[in-house]
Amino acid sequence: MDTSVEKRIHTLRERLAYIEDIFAGKHGEDIDLLQDRLKTFEERARAGAMGDPHTEIGGIEDLFGFVERRLEDNITPMDKVRIVRHPQRICLRDILENVYDNFTEVGGQDEHSLDPSMLIARAVIARRRGKKMHVQSVMVIGQEKGHGADFRNGGSVKPWGNAKALQYMRVAETEGIPIHTYIFTPGSYPIEDYPGAAQQIARNIYGMANLRVPVVTVISEGGSGGAEAIGLADKRLMLSHGYYSVISPEGAAAIEGRLKAGERATPELIEHCATSLSITAQDNLKFGYIDRVVQEPPLGARPNHFDFFRQLRQEMLRATDEVVLSTRRLSFYKRIALRRLRRPDVNLDDLYIRWGLSSQAKSRLVEKRQQKFLRLSRSACRDRRPFFTKVSQAFSDVLMRPYNHLKYDLYRRHRRKMAAMVEEIDTEWELFKSRLFSPFRALCKALPGNRGAAAEDKSAELMALSTWTGDARRRKWNYISPRYKIDRTITCPNATTYGCLDLWGPDLFAEFAGVCSYCGYHFPMEPEWYVRNVFDEGSVYEFNSEIEAGNPLHFPNFSDRVEKAQKTTGAKSGCMTFEARIDNIKVVVAMLMGTFRGGSVGAAEGQKFVEAAERAAKKRYPFLAYVHGTAGIRIQEGTHGVIQMPRCTVAVRRYIESGGLYMVLYDTNSFAGPVASFLGCSPYQFAVRSSNIGFAGPGVIKETTGMDIPPKYHRSYRALSRGHIQAIWDRPQIRGNIKQALLTIGGRNLYYR
Amino acid sequence: MSQDFAITDHKVLVANRGEIAMRIMRACHKLGVAFTAIYTAADAASGHVRLAQEIGGEKSLYRVSSYHDANELMAVADDALCTALHPGYGFFAEDYRFARRVTKRERRMIFIGPSWKIIRELGDKINTKRLARSLEVPTVPGSDRPVYDEMEAERIARTVFEFQLQQGIKHPLVLVKASAGGGGMGIEEVYDIDNFRSVYRRIRNYAMRQFKDEGVLIEQRITDFNHLEVQIVSDRSGKQPVHFGTRNCSIQSTGLQKRVEVAPGFSSRDLSYSFDADKVLDDIVAYSLTMARKVGYDNVGTWEWIVTRDGSPFLMEVNTRIQVENGVSARISRVRDNADVDLLAEQIRIGLGEPLGYSQEDIATEGVGIEYRLIAEDPDNRFTPWSGSIEQFHWKEQPWLKVHTHVPTDMVYEIPSDFDPNLALAIIWGKDLEEARQRGVSFLDDLCLTGKSATGEPLKSNINFLRANTERILRF
Amino acid sequence: MFDVKALLDEIKASPFRKIIITAPHTGRVNFTSVQPGERVTGPQGLWKEKPGTLLATLDRERNPKPILALEKGELETLYLDLEGCFVEAGTPLAVVRHYMTRTEVQNELLKKTLHLFTAPERAKYYFTPEIDKKVRASGSQSVTVHEGMELFIMSRMKREVPLHYAGPTGAIYTVYVEPSASTDAGQPLIGVCPPDQLTAIQEAVMQVQTEWKEEA
Repeated sequence: MDTSVEKRIHTLRERLAYIEDIFAGKHGEDIDLLQDRLKTFEERARAGAMGDPHTEIGGIEDLFGFVERRLEDNITPMDKVRIVRHPQRICLRDILENVYDNFTEVGGQDEHSLDPSMLIARAVIARRRGKKMHVQSVMVIGQEKGHGADFRNGGSVKPWGNAKALQYMRVAETEGIPIHTYIFTPGSYPIEDYPGAAQQIARNIYGMANLRVPVVTVISEGGSGGAEAIGLADKRLMLSHGYYSVISPEGAAAIEGRLKAGERATPELIEHCATSLSITAQDNLKFGYIDRVVQEPPLGARPNHFDFFRQLRQEMLRATDEVVLSTRRLSFYKRIALRRLRRPDVNLDDLYIRWGLSSQAKSRLVEKRQQKFLRLSRSACRDRRPFFTKVSQAFSDVLMRPYNHLKYDLYRRHRRKMAAMVEEIDTEWELFKSRLFSPFRALCKALPGNRGAAAEDKSAELMALSTWTGDARRRKWNYISPRYKIDRTITCPNATTYGCLDLWGPDLFAEFAGVCSYCGYHFPMEPEWYVRNVFDEGSVYEFNSEIEAGNPLHFPNFSDRVEKAQKTTGAKSGCMTFEARIDNIKVVVAMLMGTFRGGSVGAAEGQKFVEAAERAAKKRYPFLAYVHGTAGIRIQEGTHGVIQMPRCTVAVRRYIESGGLYMVLYDTNSFAGPVASFLGCSPYQFAVRSSNIGFAGPGVIKETTGMDIPPKYHRSYRALSRGHIQAIWDRPQIRGNIKQALLTIGGRNLYYR
Repeated sequence: MSQDFAITDHKVLVANRGEIAMRIMRACHKLGVAFTAIYTAADAASGHVRLAQEIGGEKSLYRVSSYHDANELMAVADDALCTALHPGYGFFAEDYRFARRVTKRERRMIFIGPSWKIIRELGDKINTKRLARSLEVPTVPGSDRPVYDEMEAERIARTVFEFQLQQGIKHPLVLVKASAGGGGMGIEEVYDIDNFRSVYRRIRNYAMRQFKDEGVLIEQRITDFNHLEVQIVSDRSGKQPVHFGTRNCSIQSTGLQKRVEVAPGFSSRDLSYSFDADKVLDDIVAYSLTMARKVGYDNVGTWEWIVTRDGSPFLMEVNTRIQVENGVSARISRVRDNADVDLLAEQIRIGLGEPLGYSQEDIATEGVGIEYRLIAEDPDNRFTPWSGSIEQFHWKEQPWLKVHTHVPTDMVYEIPSDFDPNLALAIIWGKDLEEARQRGVSFLDDLCLTGKSATGEPLKSNINFLRANTERILRF
Repeated sequence: MFDVKALLDEIKASPFRKIIITAPHTGRVNFTSVQPGERVTGPQGLWKEKPGTLLATLDRERNPKPILALEKGELETLYLDLEGCFVEAGTPLAVVRHYMTRTEVQNELLKKTLHLFTAPERAKYYFTPEIDKKVRASGSQSVTVHEGMELFIMSRMKREVPLHYAGPTGAIYTVYVEPSASTDAGQPLIGVCPPDQLTAIQEAVMQVQTEWKEEA
């Protein structure tokens, strides 16, 4: 038999195996048909019973194509998940070879790399204008799945791999070249070794929030935090057969089905979750979390789909050009160029637009990117603020901005100068006075009568009752946990190690503030405890309580659960935002409450967080994120939740860069998305004793890495040793410590640069 | 609850061990009140276990894991249906949280001791000092609130030094102590103001680490003094506190633990003092009663005083519990000429809600009482505790002698290593100081106490120390 | 040198140890469904993080506490007549017949071969701070003891006195003392291995490792 026929048979067999894999037992008839036809053809060809095998195989190829197109119409979200996970799926190296004209891998090569699952390359694209060739450089960064090669770890990037990515983003920034990132990851490798999975992703997101070069992202497999680590881009494209999700459908099924470690969810439940999570490119385009869908061949792109690579190249050029043009001021030229770009028949290889940006253009680029993310997901939560409130707020914003500028920037500066002058004059006067009176004073001292009076004074001072006011005197809590009413004892979890005796509930939850009096273990307390005991009594003013958590994906049965949480906690979302005072220092606080659906963050929580940061910036107050507990992003909100990671980080970054002091305090358990973004990016993070901080819980780590996790793996003191947090505080001292932090980290009278 | 039933309807949990547990049980027995005792594995041979078996009724003895575990006491009290709890001294006697738990739990009981609020108020040394000052009761010169500021601390220390120099004290000393501390921890002396700051910082850091509070107290360190006590008794009304005289507890071990207690506090009839001793005694009694009345003190308690060589008293602290040495005050007291005074029985009676039934005019004192604490220890070697077995322990019975001990006299007894090696209390009475001293020495001479340690060494005790110190009783 | 074979034979003759599980404190007992004759397990997992078989719960002050098997073996006796009763501290609740594990046999062997430094009297013992730091940082075997060295702090009757080591110079091979519990007089505190015997002891340990199959 002809070797070329042999090759084509082999290719068809691979296509068939691929179809079998991605549909996982579905569409058996179609598969049987194809198998049958391929088999008979093969037998006949081997027997030499065919005149022209080339024609006949062409017929079978057509049949394959026909069936594939038909199956394409019935493709489900879970099929797409199987497509992106398939070893035959295109990977980043294929893209580098076929989309770019040349490239050099940097930061390691193949398995000899700090982290082979993170691939970084300097690539070039050659474009022609007339006869002239222009070679344009980009930094390509992305996860490499390597068609299932073991050392690539399936594109699951370790913390240091993400650190490497950030490092080369900075290089690109220095060099002024655009960045193309390609997301091929099921999620980050959830280990806490330095720098820590969550901590590094947070740094990446924070870093990307103001990268001063264009960033274009393509999402194939966008698994939650791992995706966001390189996903905060000016343009986000998504492959038509990719998925972008908060969690793997299996993970969601495990949570939905309340499975214990080791148990497996049924395929039906997984399929159901995949559909409910709205993870496809079309869904995300509708939500606005991606800008464009890149159409793939039927049943997804594989390495031999060269047309697809050509198309992807055009899309990448167009996206990059658009980003660059959008920063230009000259609107006439811009409009013409944009119109040309958008013509469907244009070949962008024959067009040349310079990718370098002026300094002002870079600032506009960053501002546009930040605004883009701040705008996202606004409609995914229920905003019950009355229309009038919203309008008046917007109006007062406009009015207050110049006022605040006047008050804080101009007036304060001048007042400080005045104060310095007055001080100087004062010192001079004192000096003068002391010279003037010194002879008299010496005389007074010599008189004997005075001494006796002084002695009397002393004994009075040492023996009589002194006045005593201040915080230390007040040893009473403003709020005590209702659990104090139950007459029972509680065993400290450390009892076997430290020999703690059982604690009496009424003591533990009232006077002891939930702290074991033997070993100092901290039992979780209610969010109210902090609101009432950390801040000045009566100083708490809540705002935006009308922004409510909803069910934007219409996830089955979820609306009821949200309502139930609202009923039991009395809160409308898992994030409470308020203004308060600590010893008369005003602060804006965003509190994630572990009691409201595990403190998970969805669109409402994100929106409130963003508005709190903006309020703090406007009022020039310090901004405190108190994390009573957070289990991560609310999975039932899908990408509406995930998008809060870059979104809130952008808000935080804008606040910090406008001169704000942003502090984070973790309590109980803080995990996943929020820690890996807007919480973990704070330069000043603290934890309450006995709290746990991390990226993924022990169960998830066991499932994704196969590793057993030692007890106390996520304890805050380990985060402290790793440099993630700055200190561990005892609960009764939180108030004092926050005050001390505000005084030492913040400025003299404003805590605001 | 107490109004509804007579005290004989009560059942008292004896939440202590050893000698005091036995005295509580006997007092209950005398009053016709049922009781329940507890013991630990290490204490199985203690006399209090045997006594409970002998005179206790149903459900009168339980083995628990520890005397320190409040949960054990509550569980036993519930199972034995106790209605009240006597903490004795040590353990939970001055733990206001424990007292609060006893009285506030679902199955409420009577805590035989002052109400928990009083224990809390007087258990806090700053609070006590401030209360005293508000009533113009003299306290040790120095700060009466925690000092957090280094500059202020140094200013106070400087004043305390200057004050002492003015008083003619040659080597003034300043005490720096953690305000949240207790039991001798986090205390340091300063003899030179230049050293003050480094000591201050050390104590402050220690306090921060240990007690999570940086507050520090600065006081004069008084070196030359006598340790006096005033015994206060008041019923639940808290309106008519009476006193049972004074005690002098100046003979102590190097670790400042009492070894000999004498009642009354001074004896101007037998000895001469450089100050008006009777006036000092009257003053401290009056001051103590003033404070007791102010807080509505509602059980037995002791006001501890230091009296300097020039006769100035300073309030040291208030012990809101029955003390080891209560017997020596009872021994010299007469209530309406009745010499059989038992302060423990009085404590239980008024604790359970009975009115005191007499007033200060009904109380008189007669003679001198001495209490010796017999302890297996080595006074020549910093009072190091001795451990081993007691083989022989007996004494000659006398009408003027009373011995309280949990050590069995008819069998070998191994001293448990988890507690202080206290063996017995001997209370001696004499019509005057001279007679009491003579009887004391003769008791010690007749006492037979032998034993062996695990390595075969003979028992060490403080008998010689007690005998040698009998001479200087009540001398300043 | 010590006869390892003889010791192993001796243990093999009666390879069981009876473990009496007693009530750690007072409370009301409720037994679980485990029956006498059944196999029970001790704590398991890499860090012993999985608790042993639940035998009973002991409820005191509305706080039910699990009574767990501490070693694996066969549940010989269960004092079922105590069901629902209020028991005193130290009351026996169950007896587990436990087959000696390799580590235990090894410890037996070590107790007979090492120089044991014993407690002079019943007290709590803990290492002096410097030694403790060293033991925590790099293991007990990094500490070499010699005659007269201040090794322990002996705590009894609220007093703390230093305890000086007496015996041959060598490394601390095993630590027997538990700092939280009282040690009786005569009980070993540490086992010291003189340097010249180190190889012999390691060989003996190897022998147990190969001959004794039962693992924890």
